[in-house]
Amino acid sequence: MKRYDCLKILSNYVKDDDLVVTSLGGLMDEWHNLRPSEANLPLHILGVISPLSLGLSIALPKKRIICIDTDGSLFLNIGALCTIGNEQPANLIIYVLDNECYECIGGYPTPSAGNTDIATIAKGCGIKGARTVNSEEQFEQESKKAFEGKGPSFIVCKIEPGTERYPAEKRIPWDGFELKYRFIRFIEKTEGITIKPPEERYDFRADEKKK
Amino acid sequence: MKESSAKLVVEGLKEAGIKLITCLPESLLRPLYKMLRQDEFFKFVPVTNEGEGAAIAAGAWLGGMKAVLLMENSGLRVATEALSRLGLTYGVPVFMIMSHRGEIGEHNWWGIAHDLTMRPLLKAMHIPYIIVRKEEQIKDAIKRSIRHITTSMYHTAVVLSGETREE
Repeated sequence: MKRYDCLKILSNYVKDDDLVVTSLGGLMDEWHNLRPSEANLPLHILGVISPLSLGLSIALPKKRIICIDTDGSLFLNIGALCTIGNEQPANLIIYVLDNECYECIGGYPTPSAGNTDIATIAKGCGIKGARTVNSEEQFEQESKKAFEGKGPSFIVCKIEPGTERYPAEKRIPWDGFELKYRFIRFIEKTEGITIKPPEERYDFRADEKKK
Repeated sequence: MKESSAKLVVEGLKEAGIKLITCLPESLLRPLYKMLRQDEFFKFVPVTNEGEGAAIAAGAWLGGMKAVLLMENSGLRVATEALSRLGLTYGVPVFMIMSHRGEIGEHNWWGIAHDLTMRPLLKAMHIPYIIVRKEEQIKDAIKRSIRHITTSMYHTAVVLSGETREE
């Protein structure tokens, strides 16, 4: 199963309003091309993808949060699954794209290439519906269930290494700060809230009049 | 920590609009955890390490919910990678309150290094911080830190020290 084919299926389920937080690597540009949106937040921060998504799901319980994590990232902070299992966020769908290696650095194996089973760990943490999918058919079936049901959903996708290559004009052009601002402005617009307010302005004339 | 100091922290957090607490337990701040856990105003999320706590607090902040990561100052060492990337490469802020283990007068030998590493780490990450030594400074420090975060979109920290950490 290829990552790109999974993401292509997933892009059919994701609605305009859904927030999508992704892990790093080739995944970022693939998702950007399949679902270009201000509601995407690609994070160059291993170990932070799933817990940050939990924070979003707590802050915005009426919004659907889709977290596309990876095996290498999740293993850096595997304890986050305990917290997700305890919090049971109903609006959170977590995908773990498990290629069993650190592909960006040449394919060095992660623990899931050995004896570690991520879905079993997640179940042990109280994420009852955690499961592993090995084919596109299973991916489609479990995604349908996740998008129709109540979370937390947790789908480990066994994928083969491999990345789509894009020319410069099709790659993500924004750095972290711009990605952050696009993301929060989208939330402000769709939720009707203020996250980063304008600076304060002082009315000196009004003060003088008071005197 | 005295009950009176803990009460002031709770009041300060409420007045600053903090709703989410992510934390790891710490013996100096014991009365504070109890109060926060029992207060329905707050969403209290215990975490498995401080890096995870920083990430959850950052996610909440992105979603418009003000949050605090509450920890012993040694937790800063664990959270450094998450804080560096969230703050320095994305400008996603995390507000922290930490106890001041290792300040002059420390009782425990294992706590000495907590202060020695806290200050250079805060400096290395360019994190503005206030060391609070008197109870009357607590609420003002929290208020200023939150105002600063909203302006800078970067982390701030309040370090509970002096009489605010003593039994």
